[in-house]
Amino acid sequence: MVTVWLHDLMKKSNCIYCLSPFLFCRRQQYVGKVRFAHFDTHVQSSKKVVVATEKNVFAALNTRTGELFWRHVDKTGSEGNIDALLLQGADAVLVVGNGRLLRSWEVNIGGLNWEILLDSGSFQSACLVGQQDNVKYVAVLKKTVISLHYLSNGHQKWIENLPDSETVDYQAVYSGGNGEVYVLGVVPHSHIAVVVYSVDDGEILKQFSVEAAWLSNIQTSCAVVGKGMLTCVDSTTLSLYMLDLHTQLQMTQLPLQTLGLEVDPGFHPTLVSTQPNAARQPLSEFFLQLGPEHYVLLQLNNGQIVTLRDFKPAMLVSFATTGEKTVAAVMSPKNKTACGLNLFSADTGRRLLDTTLIFNMDPYGGKPETLYVQAFLKKDDSVGYRAIVQTEDHTLTFLQQPGRVMWTREEALSDVVTMEMVDLPLTGTQAELEGEFGKKADGLMSMVLKRLSSQFILLQAWVSHLWKLFYDARKPRSQVKNDVTIENLSRDEFNLQKMMVMVTASGKLFGIDSKTGTIVWKHYLDNIPSNAAFKLMVQRTTAHFPHPPQCTLLIKDKDTGLATLHVFNPIFGKKSHITPPALPQPILQSLLLPLMDQDYAKVLLLVDDQYKVSAFPSTKNVLQQLQEMASSIFFYLVDSSQGRLSGYRLRTDLSTELIWEVVIPPEIQRIVSVKGKRPNEHVHSQGRVMGDRSVLYKYLNPNLLAIVTESTDSHQERSFVGILLIDGVTGRIIHEAVQRKTKGPVHVVHSENWVVYEYWSTKSRRNEFSVIELYEGMELYNSTVFSSLDRPHAPQVLQQSYIFPSAISTLEATLTEKGITSRHLLIGLPSGGILSLPKMFLDPRRPEIVTEQSREENLIPYAPELPIRTEWYINYNQTISRVRGIYTAPSGLESTCLVVAYGLDIYQTRVYPSKQFDVLKDDYDYMLISSVLFALFFATMISKRLAEVKLLNRAWR
Amino acid sequence: NLHKKNLIYYAGVSSQSNGDRFKIEGRAIVPGVKTQDWVSTARVLVEGEEYVGFLRTDGSFAVNDIPSGSYVVEVVTPTFRFEPVRVDITSKGKMRARLVNFIKTSEVIRQPYPLQIRGSPQSYFMRRETWGWTDFLMNPMVMMMVLPLLIIVLLPKVVNTNDPEMRKEMEQSMNMLNPNPELPDVSELMTKLFSGSKGSGKAGGSSKGTRPAVKRR
Repeated sequence: MVTVWLHDLMKKSNCIYCLSPFLFCRRQQYVGKVRFAHFDTHVQSSKKVVVATEKNVFAALNTRTGELFWRHVDKTGSEGNIDALLLQGADAVLVVGNGRLLRSWEVNIGGLNWEILLDSGSFQSACLVGQQDNVKYVAVLKKTVISLHYLSNGHQKWIENLPDSETVDYQAVYSGGNGEVYVLGVVPHSHIAVVVYSVDDGEILKQFSVEAAWLSNIQTSCAVVGKGMLTCVDSTTLSLYMLDLHTQLQMTQLPLQTLGLEVDPGFHPTLVSTQPNAARQPLSEFFLQLGPEHYVLLQLNNGQIVTLRDFKPAMLVSFATTGEKTVAAVMSPKNKTACGLNLFSADTGRRLLDTTLIFNMDPYGGKPETLYVQAFLKKDDSVGYRAIVQTEDHTLTFLQQPGRVMWTREEALSDVVTMEMVDLPLTGTQAELEGEFGKKADGLMSMVLKRLSSQFILLQAWVSHLWKLFYDARKPRSQVKNDVTIENLSRDEFNLQKMMVMVTASGKLFGIDSKTGTIVWKHYLDNIPSNAAFKLMVQRTTAHFPHPPQCTLLIKDKDTGLATLHVFNPIFGKKSHITPPALPQPILQSLLLPLMDQDYAKVLLLVDDQYKVSAFPSTKNVLQQLQEMASSIFFYLVDSSQGRLSGYRLRTDLSTELIWEVVIPPEIQRIVSVKGKRPNEHVHSQGRVMGDRSVLYKYLNPNLLAIVTESTDSHQERSFVGILLIDGVTGRIIHEAVQRKTKGPVHVVHSENWVVYEYWSTKSRRNEFSVIELYEGMELYNSTVFSSLDRPHAPQVLQQSYIFPSAISTLEATLTEKGITSRHLLIGLPSGGILSLPKMFLDPRRPEIVTEQSREENLIPYAPELPIRTEWYINYNQTISRVRGIYTAPSGLESTCLVVAYGLDIYQTRVYPSKQFDVLKDDYDYMLISSVLFALFFATMISKRLAEVKLLNRAWR
Repeated sequence: NLHKKNLIYYAGVSSQSNGDRFKIEGRAIVPGVKTQDWVSTARVLVEGEEYVGFLRTDGSFAVNDIPSGSYVVEVVTPTFRFEPVRVDITSKGKMRARLVNFIKTSEVIRQPYPLQIRGSPQSYFMRRETWGWTDFLMNPMVMMMVLPLLIIVLLPKVVNTNDPEMRKEMEQSMNMLNPNPELPDVSELMTKLFSGSKGSGKAGGSSKGTRPAVKRR
């Protein structure tokens, strides 16, 4: 009783205090590219579609809104891979991890029914098995065994070894509901092997093989149609082959020509069949795809194939069943930007009236790829339908008749690779005013006129703004629209609202408003190699008004090293008219120089595999600047396979010169990561004030690189993690540390004068943090300029390690405008929380024995274990699955740091590492303050008057 | 006949492949909350995300396919907090659960196995500092200021200082306390002070009004 009450109380208090933090944070949850999708049909009014995705996520989506009912995120990689999804009633059966596990989920509440471990062996196929109109089992076919499990509890009914599994490649399992399970195997270029098992006890009822020298893969070219007729299509002989599984006679060949059909040259034809109920036989109608945009609906009628309808052009087809009716949905192109979707009766091929649906394609999106259709019976017994279209750019669009888009989900955002935040432009009027200063003076009079006119425009804008405020204030709050469009995007007072440019692995780029989380623009880049590496650079910010901002995306094929550049405007997403240079050579390294050309675009240097350097933009101005600066431009290359780090210097003719080289023997340890400092980082104080009022100066080398290595020997007694601090200009090793009996994955943050890294201690089985801080000492060598070439003294190095009581997924440090605010570390945890840990806890000067001086310095006494406090979670209960990266950006307010965490979900928020010292609280009590002021003022007035009266009285006395 | 042989052969295979893989079982409950309400958001994490398990509708769980070793098992949900437990699995499959202790890693405080994990509501929010009259009044500084003020204002009113007998009595008692009559007496000063300001105090009715007047005298 007591606990319940406490919990209720807690809830209430949460609601009261959570209001303000949630104002600035947004979470978007994604599932990834859909692999299997089934509409939940066991309840008439169900609004669910269950999906299994390539991100190993199993989820239920609300078909009305597109939001998630629930979502289960399994392990990444092949162990969590979802091989099959079968939906029966309210139970969804999943085969996971190449046939490792069989799971059954309750779809309504999203809880697990059961989970069983299957025997080893690679998974081939699975199907539901029914008997007498009752689906009670699921059959799982593996390379060498077939097993039958009860749907109710997962218990194994029987398991059988497949005969001759060394020679026969068993690929498919089929059941028509007559108490038999058919296992279909193939001996490539020889014959088909069929084994028939009894559902009751797993006894082999029949076993036969049929000559089929042309067949190599059953799953892609065969389907069971009608009353157990195995139908295959062969692209070399251009014919259909049919085998009756019950009578097991000869395979009959039917050339497609006799049906009047022709296959597109070079196309491998496929079959699409449907089995609406696992306890019954499949329908005798099926689709045959003859070309990329050519389908035929065929029917098997008494052993004869009849063409019902020819669909050309048709991009996608799908069957859907409701009650006893089965329909075929066909998507065909209408014009360049739209597709038409139509329903056809499956048994006649007749088009159903009033079933046309228009799907408008996004010109910046991809082509439709998959179609999922949910059919339902309307009141007048006609068939209505809804459809989900998945496009190449991983977008899900839910369509309803007549052509209304109910929702879209941008699943590409489940795989953000890299991102940048770009300041929004000033409003048009502000920009106009700013632009005035950029132009050349053309006479006093015209300048005055221009100034007057721009002031007038400003006044006009202000009046209209006031009017809008007044107008909105009268409306109820919920009705005030906060639509973000490109037109009304503008920088706010403190530069808190920015444009997030996100690059996803599928090659789709997004521009998202950081305040509301709305997608302002999207652009799908086709022909992106599947293993591409991306690097996004902001070449020109919005600060140079007449010139548009410019971002450059370097897309590099990891295998060949060949790269392409995509130049675009980060605010509007439009491709720039500037043609990027063609890059015929593989690119090794790219670096953005602080140099600018006459149009204020930063110069991008690209180093190819011949160690030749090319610049973009490469105008005369830039080349001249480069020649002047060449002697002070250094860069480094990392070859992790050979363990080689090499430093180069630029020559005036844009060739390069090797100046240093560090080789880390690759047979002992390998380079895991190389981290420099962020170029936009500011350090406010040069040193730390000690307890005795002396100053300990920080070693602030902007060229310092932190190199993390891991041992190749993974034995837990001999494995180690090493860290190397190298000056990137001179190649001088500043510091080296090795942590024994530890292993990766190592997460590193390198900033200011410190490096924080996290690793796994194999000896104590725990995660540990280690911090290295570098100090110049009590005196600064050259306080005005830092030069790597002129630093005779080695820095003092302090290091301390701590236990962290959780595994971590990612690590990043907060960043603010001027670096005055204290730093926090943002730690993404596997549980989905993002922890904001004050850097103060990771300070190698934390004393073991507290002294007067250390107390003066506000040092926390050393404790081996770092605390995790629930108040430090910056995302509260809005957990983020599989955090892969955290991006931090400074805002216009010194106290505020903008944070975006991305992984499967995207979460954006603001953090205040030193609280909001430069902002009044949002509940700041203006009324109280002003009333106190007024009261004091009147009190002074009254007392003054009283004092006068008293003095007067005394004078009379 | 062939069929039976197959079965036997198969049994051999299965024990071999499953010989060194185990499963961690347990049950998570939140007292007073229905499991249906939170199981869809929960996961069981074994050693970070090394192995992942899910909860059944009754709150029980089993994480399959785990080799022998020592693991930290944690149930995570956004709304509730569950204490992590360390589970040791020997190579023979013997299980032991104990409290997690990262500092003394070999310390054993046994926990029940199969695991019984209780959850409690998680609070992510710090109570915001609000401004209330009670907070203001209970502030020690304010208390220190207000109490003497009350004494100063009220004492002269309670004790009728105009009564000569009373005054004499008080003076006597003061003198007893204060053996040195040369020293300026605080209470005397006070009484003088307030008997003088009484008239104007009544007229103003405000203590704020009286103070400046006093200073000027």
